Amino acid sequence: MPWPTPRPDDPATVLRTEPRPHTVAPTVLKVVIAGGFGAGKTTAVGAVSEITPLSTEEYLTEASTGVDSLAGVEAKRTTTVAFDFGRLTLPDAPVPLELFLFGTPGQDRFVDLWYDLSRSAVGAVVLLDTRRLESSFTPVSFFEDIGLPFVVAINEFDGAHRYHPEQVRTALKLPARIPVVACDARNPNHVAGVLLTLVDHAVKTTPTINLQDA
Amino acid sequence: MRTYTLTRGRTTPRHLLGLETVLEHGPGRPGPGQAEECERILALCRERRRSVTELAGRLCRPVTAVKILVSDLLDADALVVPVTAPYAATDTDADARPSPQLLAALSAGLKRKWPDAMAHPQAG
Repeated sequence: MPWPTPRPDDPATVLRTEPRPHTVAPTVLKVVIAGGFGAGKTTAVGAVSEITPLSTEEYLTEASTGVDSLAGVEAKRTTTVAFDFGRLTLPDAPVPLELFLFGTPGQDRFVDLWYDLSRSAVGAVVLLDTRRLESSFTPVSFFEDIGLPFVVAINEFDGAHRYHPEQVRTALKLPARIPVVACDARNPNHVAGVLLTLVDHAVKTTPTINLQDA
Repeated sequence: MRTYTLTRGRTTPRHLLGLETVLEHGPGRPGPGQAEECERILALCRERRRSVTELAGRLCRPVTAVKILVSDLLDADALVVPVTAPYAATDTDADARPSPQLLAALSAGLKRKWPDAMAHPQAG
């Protein structure tokens, strides 16, 4: 969890008499929703978010994107990437929780952002449009590589051919342990169900503290 | 370039802030000559706690620019990072994942909010 770097007390603030409210903020948990263009990421975020999904921009510079085929060809280049943000509070959870949802496109150039979003995240949902299966290859490999728990959710678009989740599993060469589920990204119950599936999966894959290795 | 002007030429935030770092308003006042966006950030955080990403989205400004402005406001004590319950078992681990207890709490919270939502049963 990132914290601002400590700084020395500002003497000007010492004289303040107004008591500072001592409140404990809800614990924040993150879920990444990745998918190709038009897979329904914004719709899925909006289905459960308490705010209209916000489109947020971030710069990615050549320096931070790591090895790139353009390295050395062009000087430092800045690209802008946009991602969606939504949030929901769970005040009735055993501890007050706030869940942040980050919707991010599935192209290679977003990988740097995915690292940022995946840090300390509960896991990821790879949202899939079966008409564009190939757009999920990159996020699937990424989350597999970094060991972040993820589930694949097929967004069942009206009029699109319905594939059985097992057909999708075969097409994506996913191991049996990765959940593949179908949903309607517009339906809050469905999206919440996908999140529950992810949480269950994350519980199973959370390594318990391994004392043997200590 | 407008963003460059907004941050007065700075390209790196002084504080280590994550996309999900949450800010709440503090008792301090920002110094004079702050960007108009700083007032908007403070107004938004007076309403409720907001994350860095949400502030950037609402201001329609890139995350890095907002982090730079937020750093200024943290220095002025106009914003503070609220105390939260421990996130994961090991705070020192950069890749720390939420503890099983937190995941259980999340699951319970989601079920209470959407009683009709069903987790898809999975083998394994």
